[in-house]
Amino acid sequence: MKKHIIKKEAVSTVVYPVVFGIILVVLWQTQILHHLLGTDTFTLPLPSRISSIIGDNIGVIMTNVQATVFVALAGLLFGSLLGFILAMVAAMSPHWGAGGLTIATAFNAIPIIAIAPIFTNLTKDFSSDPNVRSMFAKILVVMITCTVSMGINAYRGFTELKPFSLDLMKSYAAGRWTVFFKLRLPNCVPYIFTALRISVPGCVISAMVSEYFAEYIIGVGRQIRESIVLAQYSTAWAYIVTACLIGVVMYAVLLIVENILLKGRGIK
Amino acid sequence: MADVYEAGQTAGGVAETVSDSQPVKTQIVIQNLSVIYKDDGTRGDTVALQDVNLDIKKGEFVSLVGPSGCGKTTLLRVIADLIPATAGDVFISGLTPREARLEKRFGIVFQNPVLMDWRTIRRNVCLPLELLKMPKPLRTKKVTEMLDLVGLQEFGHHYPRELSGGMQQRVGIARALAIDPRILLMDEPFSALDEFTKEKLHEDLLHIWQQTNKTVVFVTHNIQEAVFLSDRVVVFSPHPGRVTSVVNITIPRPRTLSMKNTVEFTELVANVRSGFVGV
Amino acid sequence: MAPAKEKSVWKRIAQSPRTVTLVWVLGLIIIWEAGATIVGFTKRTPENVLPHLYQILASVFSFKKVTATQTAAQVVIINAGITLGRAAIGFIIGTAVGYLLALFMRLFVAVEKIVFPYLMLIQMIPILGMAPIVLAMSHDIDKSRIIIAAILTFYPVAVNTLAGFKSIEEEKFELFHSYAATTPEVYIKMMIPSSIPYLFTGLKISAPMAVTASILVDTLQGGGGLGCMLSQSLKHAMSIYVFWQIVFFSAFVGILSYYLMVLLEKVVTPGRKIAVQKTGGNE
Repeated sequence: MKKHIIKKEAVSTVVYPVVFGIILVVLWQTQILHHLLGTDTFTLPLPSRISSIIGDNIGVIMTNVQATVFVALAGLLFGSLLGFILAMVAAMSPHWGAGGLTIATAFNAIPIIAIAPIFTNLTKDFSSDPNVRSMFAKILVVMITCTVSMGINAYRGFTELKPFSLDLMKSYAAGRWTVFFKLRLPNCVPYIFTALRISVPGCVISAMVSEYFAEYIIGVGRQIRESIVLAQYSTAWAYIVTACLIGVVMYAVLLIVENILLKGRGIK
Repeated sequence: MADVYEAGQTAGGVAETVSDSQPVKTQIVIQNLSVIYKDDGTRGDTVALQDVNLDIKKGEFVSLVGPSGCGKTTLLRVIADLIPATAGDVFISGLTPREARLEKRFGIVFQNPVLMDWRTIRRNVCLPLELLKMPKPLRTKKVTEMLDLVGLQEFGHHYPRELSGGMQQRVGIARALAIDPRILLMDEPFSALDEFTKEKLHEDLLHIWQQTNKTVVFVTHNIQEAVFLSDRVVVFSPHPGRVTSVVNITIPRPRTLSMKNTVEFTELVANVRSGFVGV
Repeated sequence: MAPAKEKSVWKRIAQSPRTVTLVWVLGLIIIWEAGATIVGFTKRTPENVLPHLYQILASVFSFKKVTATQTAAQVVIINAGITLGRAAIGFIIGTAVGYLLALFMRLFVAVEKIVFPYLMLIQMIPILGMAPIVLAMSHDIDKSRIIIAAILTFYPVAVNTLAGFKSIEEEKFELFHSYAATTPEVYIKMMIPSSIPYLFTGLKISAPMAVTASILVDTLQGGGGLGCMLSQSLKHAMSIYVFWQIVFFSAFVGILSYYLMVLLEKVVTPGRKIAVQKTGGNE
């Protein structure tokens, strides 16, 4: 019986937005939406047209998707690792660590539009292949958000322990590293996921925006811009839809992984 | 000597004579009350309260005592119209709990003070008066009166976070009394406080009660607290939640802390404890 | 019994958190200068890649004109006014929409269920990429700029406010229930004030975002603004130092806007403890 009640709640949570989405698509296809917004099918193509473009150009689209996802994931991985290590270091000497993290937060306030060109310029000599150069610069940009997000949250995970748990470890005469591996690290896991919930969508967006400034023209974000500049709105929308799908899929994967790894831990 | 009643018996009918031959009216009548939570797929129906019968007289101080999960809080919440009854009746001066609530007859004090941290102490106590649409000059006067009653006159313009737990709870009591309710419902109000603060508040509460003549229904899991404060102690036992004993407290009033050392007190505590039917 | 030793002034200064921050900043300056020096040796036009900090500083005070009429500093300041003006408008609209949306989502469960996934979706679309489309649909450059700035800022406010509504303890509702309070009374006297700290958490994230959004939006088309000057400077239409000044200026403004929100919170809610530490990151 309990399963029954829970299911009802979960079902309506899924059904409502899906129904709304379907209605939206219908309004779109039938151009009622266009009347509401005062626009035309040139700037806002019909879903049917968008899907046919995606279908026809799936090869090119996938190449761009790969580029974007590669940059996003690489930035996510290295950025999160860096943030994690920094948090570890900061946790080990909390006096200096907290200050360091405040600085890191400040970095986050610098608009990506200012940082991206700096990195692009800095890495000009990295390789003679413009694709590789651009990739490197883009990954660096994506790393910033991920590092800050993971750094701050991991630091909190290492240091916001339940009261007396540290005292408990001390009463067992546990050394600093034992305390770290047996107490701080497990405590940190939910916080890592809090960080990921921000950095996973963040890395996708950062990757796309950093593509604007990169030398080499590739990537979903870049293609959106290029298509719009050429007034090929249908293609632009095709890439926009693709971008949404990338974001949704990655976030869904995150939620699934989180569910598996955090099973039984209790509330978020 | 203590009078001990078996479960199911009440102290008498609607009116009962007391020594000075003044009829004391029953204010809260609870008849065959049951609260059952439907099966949610795990353990079957939960009987939170089974067939409770209880009469509470006007101006009486009654404690509901028992361990967690025995239904005492549930009973309080049914009276307060926070939970619906599954079967049976509750009447407050002839009104249903809902009607009584809408007529603003209750003051509730929760275990945690539930103060609005964006309002000063004065404005916290003022809150129910605002909801009552009382005009401002009257409100100000009443708030001052209430703060005097609980001894927090100088703290009117402080914020909740600046006060200790005991003081915050006193604000909670002041607020509950602000609308001059007929009935004060208290749900383990002192459980979160240390022993010293608790004892001080016990004395203050009895003092306030004597001055204001409210009917008090007091829920607690602390037997000594119940015996010290009340006229009667109603003992609840779990599985299913039900009344298993009612003990009349015959210690004379006004009561002082030193009375806790008397033999009579100890015997009463033992009586209450023996009324509990363990799992 | 001897009284505890008083820490010497120097020791207290050395251990204060401000000193730590100062040391970090100094460390960063040293790293930057080192990088700039290396770059100076290896590049033909080092200031394009990583100029020395004193060079950037010098450009702020120099009177050399970088455009027909303005010095570098003037360019930055005048355009900053334009950008920040747009940021402010976008911020106010974004906040209002975000808060109202959270309110409606709390009022009507159906609204929450419908809107929530789309809310997340909006965050995943590179809104900047959509900007030209918004322009084409609204036919008005200023309107579309404000719309985009508002979109980019409303999400933290909405999400945090909603979290605020959900975190209200059940007993507060029971208290109001026991006084037979009407629904508007519950919202006005309890729910909305309870949500204010969460609103400010959202604002602290949202304020720097508004600045970022406005700069980004400037790049779309001509018409002034820091972003516009930024891209022109990058394309060498004017001195590269304009670019560097804008970088530092925007960082400065971003941080300042955050502390502005902290200040505002102290003014609006005097009775509460204010948290100054930012949580997580946001782009």
